[in-house]
Amino acid sequence: MDEDVLTTLKILIIGESGVGKSSLLLRFTDDTFDPELAATIGVDFKVKTISVDGNKAKLAIWDTAGQERFRTLTPSYYRGAQGVILVYDVTRRDTFVKLDNWLNELETYCTRNDIVNMLVGNKIDKENREVDRNEGLKFARKHSMLFIEASAKTCDGVQCAFEELVEKIIQTPGLWESENQNKGVKLTHREEGQGGGACGGYCSVL
Amino acid sequence: MDTCILTFSLLNGSDLLFAFVCLFVCLFFRYGLREFVVIAPAANNDAVLSESKCNLLLSSVSIALGNTGCQVPLFVQIHHKWRRMYVGECQGPGVRTDFEMVHLRKVPNQYTHLSGLLDIFKSKIGCPLTPLPPVSIAIRFTYVLQDWQQYFWPQQPPDIDALVGGEVGGLEFGKLPFGACEDPISELHLATTWPHLTEGIIVDNDVYSDLDPLQAPHWSVRVRKADNPQCLLGDFVTEFFKICRRKESTDEILGRSTFEEEGREIADISHALSKLTEPAPVPIHKLSVSNMVHTAKKKIRKHRGVEESPLNNDVLNTILLFLFPDATSEKPLDGTSSTDNNNPSSESEEYNLYNQFKSAPSDSLTYKLALCLCMINFYHGGLKGVAHLWQEFVLEMRFRWENNFLIPGLASGPPDLRCCLLHQKLQMLNCCIERKKARDEGRKTSPSDNVTNTYSGDAGKAGDQLGPDNLKDMDKEKGEVGKSWDSWSDSEEEFFECLSDTEELKGNGQEGGKKGGPKEMASLKPEGRLYQHGKLRLLHNGEPLYIPVTQEPAPMTEDLLEEQSEVLAKLGTSAEGAHLRARMQSACLLSDMESFKAANPGCFLEDFVRWYSPRDYIEEEVIDEKGNMVLKGELSARMKIPSNMWVEAWETAKPIPARRQRRLFDDTREAEKVLHYLAVQKPADLARHLLPCVIHAAVLKVKEEESLENISSVKKIIKQIISHSSKVLHFSNPEDKKLEEIIHQITNVEAVIARAAH
Ligand SMILES: Nc1nc2c(ncn2[C@@H]2O[C@H](COP(=O)(O)OP(=O)(O)OP(=O)(O)O)[C@@H](O)[C@H]2O)c(=O)[nH]1
Ligand SMILES: [Mg+2]
Repeated sequence: MDEDVLTTLKILIIGESGVGKSSLLLRFTDDTFDPELAATIGVDFKVKTISVDGNKAKLAIWDTAGQERFRTLTPSYYRGAQGVILVYDVTRRDTFVKLDNWLNELETYCTRNDIVNMLVGNKIDKENREVDRNEGLKFARKHSMLFIEASAKTCDGVQCAFEELVEKIIQTPGLWESENQNKGVKLTHREEGQGGGACGGYCSVL
Repeated sequence: MDTCILTFSLLNGSDLLFAFVCLFVCLFFRYGLREFVVIAPAANNDAVLSESKCNLLLSSVSIALGNTGCQVPLFVQIHHKWRRMYVGECQGPGVRTDFEMVHLRKVPNQYTHLSGLLDIFKSKIGCPLTPLPPVSIAIRFTYVLQDWQQYFWPQQPPDIDALVGGEVGGLEFGKLPFGACEDPISELHLATTWPHLTEGIIVDNDVYSDLDPLQAPHWSVRVRKADNPQCLLGDFVTEFFKICRRKESTDEILGRSTFEEEGREIADISHALSKLTEPAPVPIHKLSVSNMVHTAKKKIRKHRGVEESPLNNDVLNTILLFLFPDATSEKPLDGTSSTDNNNPSSESEEYNLYNQFKSAPSDSLTYKLALCLCMINFYHGGLKGVAHLWQEFVLEMRFRWENNFLIPGLASGPPDLRCCLLHQKLQMLNCCIERKKARDEGRKTSPSDNVTNTYSGDAGKAGDQLGPDNLKDMDKEKGEVGKSWDSWSDSEEEFFECLSDTEELKGNGQEGGKKGGPKEMASLKPEGRLYQHGKLRLLHNGEPLYIPVTQEPAPMTEDLLEEQSEVLAKLGTSAEGAHLRARMQSACLLSDMESFKAANPGCFLEDFVRWYSPRDYIEEEVIDEKGNMVLKGELSARMKIPSNMWVEAWETAKPIPARRQRRLFDDTREAEKVLHYLAVQKPADLARHLLPCVIHAAVLKVKEEESLENISSVKKIIKQIISHSSKVLHFSNPEDKKLEEIIHQITNVEAVIARAAH
């Protein structure tokens, strides 16, 4: 089954506690919503293979605990990630306000600077929205992130979030390594990414 | 005709360079002209060789000059290009000058002096006037110096005696050399000129000459630059890179068994390591490491006769002092990082290059070590010297661990995953030292305690100190002082260690855990409070809620982390897997709960959650029976799920303050792992670890030199090198070919700058 997988990507989900990170992931991998999901301890891990533009990619997704106290542990997991999903809860402004802290952490702990970030505003099924869609969009633009609003409960936008993220990663030369690399087959994108000298349009977004 | 300079030159045929400058110089020197036009065959065209063709060309030139009225002399190049033969013509009002050149393989005797040359000149111009007016003369002697590098080398290899004596010349440890190490100038031309002489003033014939070059009124010098000068920086880095391909171990290189007893000890450690792969935190009680170290250290000292050491003692000491500046003071400084002030500020792009290269900060120990090894490799004993310095370095690490001396030049805190693995390992060791030190210092001093702080170098003796006396001390202090027993890892202490551990667990733990209800627990004496929470009060009695002292989570290096995440990932994605995964990571949660319970006797999970995960405590305003608005709170739905891990952990947690809990981070074990790791690194491994630092330093050096010259094209190339390197170095095992490419690029830029600097 892994035969035709182009690459394995490491994706990280971060954000304040209770914003629905684990629920989003469960929706994506198992297409269910479990209101009885326990608060995450440390990190959790799920795998899913998806196909984007005819390319199959195996996603190893690390779901981190948003809880303050576990955070000293999670930065280690930022290492080597190619994509990050940063989640906030549209019904809790404080989770939106804290996004800056998360970005700081990302910048501090990410080992590479061409990593693809996606901002997800979750729980749009709820009535008591506190953060407007435009605010989220503006924030994402300002920090060159992808953006989508979603609901783990109703399934809205969940698939799309992961797909877009993967698509963008695949389009970034040098960010990922082909599974076939060890068998001696070299894909052109790596050569472009490394040989070019000039930064090839993917300069650091520092 | 105003002036005419006559020179005859013998060409040796080896002259190849033919730049425009040379052309100008050639014509200017030979004919004294500053303005001229030259017609020469294009680079890939045939030279004008035949006499008839030459004449044809010259007459065309003559016609062209006449027709255009051009007064600028016009030249054509004839014969083979290497002869630099130019003939030409100049037409002025009423004057015509022909420029001719003769090359003679052998100079006839009468042409080697002025009087002879004047004779031909006079006969050639065939002047009708008698007596002939005096001829004005300009004379130039040209001296060419070639193949002179062996006589004079602008960058001598630094004199090591000078280094040791403190009179550091152009080179210091921690600095990379730069520039051409053969002179980028390949030829030096000296011209001694007498610009205005009149015939008869001086005598120059075959027996006597007034023309002493030293007396010439005008001297000028011209240089010719080498095409591809060999450059120091490039060589340095290249030679360092070569180490990466060496297969020898440190022992093989040093030609003796450095750690004689190591076979046994490695077995010990690998046994210990195999335990690490077990998922649950397994405290390792038996690790007879200190013994091993003491003996190993003694062995080495004994083994190493001064004369057989690849590095002489002075060099070695200079380097060690440079790497460990704190060693000069009586008691090593405990500053966690030594920073030179001349380093770029930590905000600057330059300073943060380590982030892109995955190297280490330019003021760090790791970086300095890389530069020292680089220099040792180049100047002091090559691979042997490298192996020797590394061995000394490892011993120093061991020494610091055993004696609670922090390692200087490392940022405090957990390993910085943006740096190279070796740097992370050193940081990890520092974390271990810090914790061990804190623990040892937390212990009330009794005379025997001092033993850890002064290095006795004698394992047996150290062990003796830990007899019954210590046991008494510890007993007395138990409960108030930290788990000091942890710092004793010699076998003598193991029994004691276990005993004390179980006792403590039984003590407070049983009281709280088994007797159950918060009511009974409320009678316990609170322990391990950090400070009082600003607003929160305990739900059941309204006492202030205290934030407990908690254990710091375990620092991790990237390889540990990878190992751990692999283990976690292997548990799979099933519900059981997820459960097990959470359980494995719950040690920290459990520890925090225990600390919390100890600090807040009689508390509930609700209390804990309000501090620990406030969003999981939901408060609502409700109207009670009496019609008053009251705030009613409850745990979030996900916290109320029966037997979820939080509830489970809460029920298991006993009120034990952090200082008496089992350590989350076993510094003894981790330190030994690091030290072992360091000890088994071959020079090749070491070079691979440190190559990013060396490339980083080389790039900084090139940048620095460039800024003196300010060459914009070079600036651009440097930018490209940086972006290229950061891509290559971010892969865990970059291909040699790519690394070579980077080194090659750096070398090229160096050559460009070196040439520009002249
Ligand atoms: N209505 C609604 N509720 C949601 C949605 N997503 C998550 N929730 C609820 O929000 C709560 C928290 O969700 P989790 O997925 O556990 O949150 P988390 O971000 O993983 O939290 P931590 O693991 O503590 O970091 C749960 O009670 C979920 O049922 C959503 O899209 N809509
Ligand atoms: Mg979660």
